[in-house]
Amino acid sequence: MPATPTNPAYRRYMRRMIPLSLVYVGAVALASVLIPDHASASVATVALALVPGFAALGWIWAMARLLVELDDGYLRMLEVRKFLVATGFALSITSIWGLLELYTDVPALPIFFVWPLWCIGLVVGQLVNRVQMGKGACA
Amino acid sequence: MKNRLRLLRAERDWSQSDLAAHLGISRQSVNAIETGKYDPSLPLAFRIADLFALRIEDIFSAENKETEE
Repeated sequence: MPATPTNPAYRRYMRRMIPLSLVYVGAVALASVLIPDHASASVATVALALVPGFAALGWIWAMARLLVELDDGYLRMLEVRKFLVATGFALSITSIWGLLELYTDVPALPIFFVWPLWCIGLVVGQLVNRVQMGKGACA
Repeated sequence: MKNRLRLLRAERDWSQSDLAAHLGISRQSVNAIETGKYDPSLPLAFRIADLFALRIEDIFSAENKETEE
């Protein structure tokens, strides 16, 4: 995404992502304080854990809306490429790690880390765009 | 696909940002089209042709057209 988004779709995207991110960080912090380690699943613990989960669903919705609302075909193509690279990146690591877990004694990778891995993949996707499409490909 | 967008823009002394503003797209898109990294959609190709009062085929041509001729 450009440093100073001029396309209205990017501005709407930021307006959606910032509050969702605040909810996510706040809810994770709150759940970490209120729920003791290895607590059993109860209505209260599940409800607290689901708040950041719904914020993450909101991120996915915001990203989907960005693709729908971007009226600039080139910028949309850059975003789609980024998402594809991120998906490939996350799936590559998790599937290889899964096989390692199956056949060796490497520690289990918590499912929670799939999302951060996908976000790291977005950065890789940005680099791929920059290398293949040139410096102007800053979306 | 090859195109004459850079030439047509230069004839009018427009920057990439000027052309982008006329077409309602980003400057990055203009740059990507000019450098052949991105082919515009058909509606955008029509908008470009309308802006320069030319036909689409007067601005864009297939990459292999010259080798065929």
